[in-house]
Amino acid sequence: MTDELVRRAQAGDQTAFRDLYHQLAGRVYALCLRLTGDAGAAEERTQDVFVRAWDKLRSFRGESAFTSWLHRLAVNVVMNERRTTFRREQRVTPMAAPEVLERGRGGGTAGLTIDLERAIATLPEGAREIFVLYDVEGYSHAEIAEMTGIAEGTSKAQLFRARHLLREKLDR
Amino acid sequence: MNERELLEAAGRLPKSIEPPRDLWPGIESRLRRRGRRWYWIPLAAAAALAAVLLGTRNGGWVVTPLAGLPSVASAPLHAAGTLRVGQWVETDDSSRALIAVGHIGHVEVRPGTRIQLVVARADDHRLALARGAIEAKVDTVPRIFFVETPVGTAIDLGCAYTLEMDSLGNGLLHVTAGVVEFQGRGHIARVPMGALVQTRSGVGPGIPYVEDAPEALRRALASSDLSGALAAARPDDAISLWHLLHRVDGPPRGVVYDRLAALVPPPPGVTRAAALALDAAALDAYWTHIHRILFRKIMLRGVREIDPRTGTRLR
Repeated sequence: MTDELVRRAQAGDQTAFRDLYHQLAGRVYALCLRLTGDAGAAEERTQDVFVRAWDKLRSFRGESAFTSWLHRLAVNVVMNERRTTFRREQRVTPMAAPEVLERGRGGGTAGLTIDLERAIATLPEGAREIFVLYDVEGYSHAEIAEMTGIAEGTSKAQLFRARHLLREKLDR
Repeated sequence: MNERELLEAAGRLPKSIEPPRDLWPGIESRLRRRGRRWYWIPLAAAAALAAVLLGTRNGGWVVTPLAGLPSVASAPLHAAGTLRVGQWVETDDSSRALIAVGHIGHVEVRPGTRIQLVVARADDHRLALARGAIEAKVDTVPRIFFVETPVGTAIDLGCAYTLEMDSLGNGLLHVTAGVVEFQGRGHIARVPMGALVQTRSGVGPGIPYVEDAPEALRRALASSDLSGALAAARPDDAISLWHLLHRVDGPPRGVVYDRLAALVPPPPGVTRAAALALDAAALDAYWTHIHRILFRKIMLRGVREIDPRTGTRLR
């Protein structure tokens, strides 16, 4: 289904692209939300990602899953935005809209999940990004280094720092 | 909390979180704005931009399967790929493909077609249609997109069209936007939106005619029956008579001119003598006048009734 939508979107069918958006917006938004730690910025970046995806659709050759391609694009969009603006302020306050994290989830671990989401959002920017990319999204340090432009050693150090800070926050 | 518990908790985080609101309208709006902005870029600047972009594509165009299993360079095309200069795209009875013409438009390759990428330069986008049917949509300056055929070349003047042809050169060009010029075997046909022209093996393009041309006129044009064509022509068929001026010599040219001038009076400055001498400026001015009337008639169809003799509003 996704493959067919991608093929039609590559051919210029914007309706197919809209259907792709509705299929994948949640995954892109989740990634952007965790990387930015800010619900408003996540909305902006999610829109940026889909606009950019439309521009670059022709470069998708099916060598990986479309979702993988879109995820990598999303990481690039968020990182580029961070590099090209001066949003260097540390977001040390809880998310503006933590309720967005509570949608579509249930079960006995929901409380811990929400606590973890909140804790991730309060991490320093660099540590947060590495934790999200490595422990949540499953990228390797080499991939993270390539996407973010930092050294692999820095990625490992930031991950250590992020895990240490998270454990401290969750143990309080 | 130890590290293992932390990682387990991280693994349980939902992969998907729905945005608090539908973001699609904003995305759609941005895509539309980009489209409009592109549309209004001066055409020359657009061509220059296309040239820069095209240079990065290493001489290849993107080709995408739309249905079935088309082939590129005899290899099945399962997903979007690159069509390089010299390579052929082929579709069977049930397959279709879409070729991105650099950054200036696209060509849909319909079933049963064989088409080759001949030139992929910023100033010359050229395909060769060996047989079959294509639908082309191009938005750029005139005369940089060409489709060669066994009987001549379709030259884009900023347009959308369908072109179907057999391997001998018998075919039909139907223009749905803008103007296409078809050159072949010493003949030139200017085909505007809402008009068609047939091509014949060894002959080249025939005389263009509008979509609703009377059957008697079509038959007369196909059989080179000059008197039949003149008798059947209406003011709406002025483009056919304008082309006939170029295809006849001597006294018959005068007869054609008089009939054309009776149906659609020439614009100021165009004289009978200049037209009979095939003066380029005079004939171009007459063409522009006829084309403008046809364009207004088509664009205002259902909105306003247009006088096919003058292009003005009918009371």
